[in-house]
Amino acid sequence: MTRTPRTAQTAKPTGARRLTSGHFGRTLAIQAFLMLLLVAFLAPVVWAILSSLKPANDIIRAPLVFDPSSFSLDNYTAMFEDVPIVRGFGNTGVVLVFKGAITMFFAPLAAYGFAKYDFRGKNAIFGMVLITLMLPTIVLIIPLLLEMKTLGWVNTYQGLILVGAIDAFAIFWMRQVISSVPDELLDAARVDGCSEFGIYWRVIVPIIRPALAGLAVLTIMNIYNDFVWPVVIASSDQRATLQVVLSTLAQNITGNRIGADYATVTGELLAASSVALIPLLILFVLLQRHFINGILAGSVKG
Amino acid sequence: MARPRAAPYVFVAPFVAIFLAFSVYPLVFTARLSLTNWRGVGDPMWVGWDNYAYLLTNDRFWSSLWNSAVLWVLIVPVQLVVGVIVAVLLNSAKLQLRGMYRVAFIVPFVMPLVAVAQIWVVLFDEGYGAVNSLLGSVGLPNVGWLTTGTWAKPTLALLFLWKTTGFIVIIMLSGLQSIDSVLYESASLDGASWSRQLRSITVPLIRRTIMFVVVLQTLAVFQMFAEPFVVTQGGPYSSTTTAGYFLYNHINRADLGTGAANSLLLVVLVMALSLMFVRMLRVEDGS
Repeated sequence: MTRTPRTAQTAKPTGARRLTSGHFGRTLAIQAFLMLLLVAFLAPVVWAILSSLKPANDIIRAPLVFDPSSFSLDNYTAMFEDVPIVRGFGNTGVVLVFKGAITMFFAPLAAYGFAKYDFRGKNAIFGMVLITLMLPTIVLIIPLLLEMKTLGWVNTYQGLILVGAIDAFAIFWMRQVISSVPDELLDAARVDGCSEFGIYWRVIVPIIRPALAGLAVLTIMNIYNDFVWPVVIASSDQRATLQVVLSTLAQNITGNRIGADYATVTGELLAASSVALIPLLILFVLLQRHFINGILAGSVKG
Repeated sequence: MARPRAAPYVFVAPFVAIFLAFSVYPLVFTARLSLTNWRGVGDPMWVGWDNYAYLLTNDRFWSSLWNSAVLWVLIVPVQLVVGVIVAVLLNSAKLQLRGMYRVAFIVPFVMPLVAVAQIWVVLFDEGYGAVNSLLGSVGLPNVGWLTTGTWAKPTLALLFLWKTTGFIVIIMLSGLQSIDSVLYESASLDGASWSRQLRSITVPLIRRTIMFVVVLQTLAVFQMFAEPFVVTQGGPYSSTTTAGYFLYNHINRADLGTGAANSLLLVVLVMALSLMFVRMLRVEDGS
């Protein structure tokens, strides 16, 4: 509190300096730089979506020209014929619902156990969470694949859903959030005859709802975008997730449309990529605050 | 107040079960597997350290590490510089459109990598891509972005930078928020320039955040897989066969013993690199 008057004093000279022309030029330069960066960050996505709505031949003949009068959905019609993208969406949807539900239910519950109870072996078990966090994915891929073969889980939903379910980071993050809930609230609920799970469900969950929203968004994003494990475990057409389908687009298109030229392939490729981008883009626009909270929390896991 | 003893065990049990089944078991298995020759069928044949010896004397193993190292050099320093500068700019309360920039910069990070990689293939096509078309409109010649050994790595690095720099900016911003603004105010009173403030206040005070970013991105670059898988299939002439992609090739060829050995070598390498960066920044802390 003692520094408030100092801040007020020092603010004056800085404010006065803002009026000089040099400062104006700098503000302009900063805005120009950031605007350029913004265009660079958005251009590929915008270009792909707009191009996918052009006739295929125009995409390669004039990649930088957008003529609203030549608007066409032909790339989409052809793409839905050639690429099993609907099945990809279906598989991703199934994984999203089950894996998402498992993480959203069990991770905060485990976090509650770690945050609010003392029990024998707690540190050792929490150590498991930390190990899972730090272990690079690549070490586990080959032995996991073999384990899946033994279990008969290759190209199955079980394999896609259970491996990596109950995300360790989710536990780590929710534990921090739940720790800040006052113990008095829990004790009061206990006096009222609440069961231990009842405390979690009726006291903890309502309080941590904002963090849960961030976790939900982060979980959806991670599962929807996941690629390395799905491409190893579910490369069959029957169980390929959306990302796996997308990764072999060119093969799919040329395989189903004999003699497809480069323009056709490109048009369908952009249509498929746009279809995959748009759900997340909409979700992001609607829930950007939760996205940024989730990503920010996700970034400090080290 | 007495709390039931069984409850916490019940709460953490599902996690422990999954951890034992899908982390501990495979981890133990991978170490044993790396000492055998196994193609996924029949009995694994014990070969001792042969897989390691094979990899360590194999040119393609080393060149996969080299490719990842080059990508690291192309990515991490650029990302640190851009990340810090953009975060500092966005951290100023006086900046107009601040919220819009923050949201727009994170868009690439949210998008699915595979879809974006496919867009990269089209954008950077040598004959028909938008990038060469743009260069052509100002009179520059076509560049074989994905077809020449010179340009394939920078093009992949650009994809990686495009995808994750917004995320790094957000991390840096959270680091900056812990710096007391009084420091900057007294520094400007003393006549310290903007770049001087950046060097003497900002960077030293977010050293921990920078260190975290370096470790995070080192892990990510050496495991890079989807980018070469979709965009270049490791080519041209294996110039984009990264450490992560090389590892995947063992799975593809069902050469599982070698793959297990390769993954353990890679983990030791990234752990060692991470530790080295942490040390380097610690030493500077002491001075």
